Amino acid sequence: MVARLLSQLLEIPLVGVNHCIAHIEIGRQMCKIDDPLTLYVSGGNTIVSAFESERYQIFGETLDLAIGNMIDSFAREADIPHPGGPKIEKLARDSSKYLELPYTVKGMDLSFSGLYTAAKRLLKSKKFGIEYNLNDIAYSLQETAFAMLTEVTERALAHTGKKEVLLTGGVAANKKLQEMINYISDEHNARFEVVPLRYAGDNGVMIAWTAILKYLSKGEDTIEDTIIKPKERMDNIEVPWRN
Amino acid sequence: MNLEIEKKKIFKKGAEASLYYGKWFNKDVIFKYRISKKYRLDIIDKKIRNSRTLNEARALIKIKNYGINVPCVYEIDPEESIITMDYIPGEKLKDLISILDIQKLEDYFKKVGIFIGILHQNGHIHGDITTSNILITPNKEVFLIDFGLHDYSDNIEDKSVDIHLLKRVLISSHGDYYKICFKAFLEGYRDCYNESSIEECESIILNVDVIETRGRYIKKEERL
Ligand SMILES: Nc1ncnc2c1ncn2[C@@H]1O[C@H](COP(=O)(O)OP(=O)(O)O)[C@@H](O)[C@H]1O
Ligand SMILES: [Mg+2]
Repeated sequence: MVARLLSQLLEIPLVGVNHCIAHIEIGRQMCKIDDPLTLYVSGGNTIVSAFESERYQIFGETLDLAIGNMIDSFAREADIPHPGGPKIEKLARDSSKYLELPYTVKGMDLSFSGLYTAAKRLLKSKKFGIEYNLNDIAYSLQETAFAMLTEVTERALAHTGKKEVLLTGGVAANKKLQEMINYISDEHNARFEVVPLRYAGDNGVMIAWTAILKYLSKGEDTIEDTIIKPKERMDNIEVPWRN
Repeated sequence: MNLEIEKKKIFKKGAEASLYYGKWFNKDVIFKYRISKKYRLDIIDKKIRNSRTLNEARALIKIKNYGINVPCVYEIDPEESIITMDYIPGEKLKDLISILDIQKLEDYFKKVGIFIGILHQNGHIHGDITTSNILITPNKEVFLIDFGLHDYSDNIEDKSVDIHLLKRVLISSHGDYYKICFKAFLEGYRDCYNESSIEECESIILNVDVIETRGRYIKKEERL
């Protein structure tokens, strides 16, 4: 809205940018990486994507909750203030007691809702505080969710044969997840990069940078082109600067 | 190890399993090993390998009864996560798509649609329908493989997800052929349903589109 208005007032070109693509583009730029398989994990998204046939194709994604949202919601249930992710990571470090939780992978897609419900149940159970504590649930939640993410990323890596792996989004800050994705990247002889945290979470620079790429290859958009389409599929969007 | 069983060369190394080609009482077989993954906890690793091995073997045995082409299972070792099954000569559909003529391609995808339709009507979810998990033999038969993520369900949602997985792999990996292949698939799939069940079939297919928009960006107001 504001951008559209400013562009009219100041006669500056207007360029529409897809949010997910911007995450990948700023990652490519900051990490000096060319053609990665990307695992994008945040509060609103969980996507495994790579560039194929002129598009950022989606190879896997969540079928329900985004990983970041799942962890934050669990933290809220445990009375941890928002954002709970970093605190859950800390808590998990002090446990090595695994409590069984559901693991749901479908093809290269994931589902976190069963895991979330089961973790919440552990929290409300009478055994909580006696047989296990919050550290143990945090540990089990992370180990399960991240093993799922790593499995689908490895499948996509084997499927696409990419030689670079990029981890981005807010949850990319998690050291445990970094370690696991790094491990499978090594196994497939792929270079692994984590987007610097300032640029991994949502930021304005990624939008501006992607707009520059697009502007230089294709010029500006019309006002109609920039109407926000929240359900627009990333694999429908042209990426002229990569062709 | 039994003298009648001979394990020869490693034949394929997938993301999840290593396959060896060999002989089992004069039959050409493959030994499918689910390999251990060091990135996950031992306890998770064991659980996954064990349950997928059992899942796959049981599914293959059951599904054979519906007249769907799947490899015959000879031995199961859940402890070591090994399945011994028929060797299916031929190629992955994935490697054939761009070289087949359109008519043949449509025939194969229609057949796949029929197979999946039969599975779904009998409460079976394949769980990983990709073009790597469909084999075409030299005499042009279609085989379904890789049932490690198989599940039992009568839910529309689970069946839609199954179809969504195939649709997505077609879009992401075979974009030029996606329309032809998916259309033929749906034709075969619909053919399996009769008058009393066709409504459910249409709901399943409609729900595939709903699933596609769901995993995308989840707005703050819509989150948990
Ligand atoms: N019964 C079989 N006969 C011949 N080839 C097979 C058979 N099963 C699997 N393969 C080949 O090995 C590959 C990997 O096997 P699959 O069962 O799909 O394991 P993964 O879970 O690793 O994908 C298949 O894509 C196929 O090429
Ligand atoms: Mg397979």
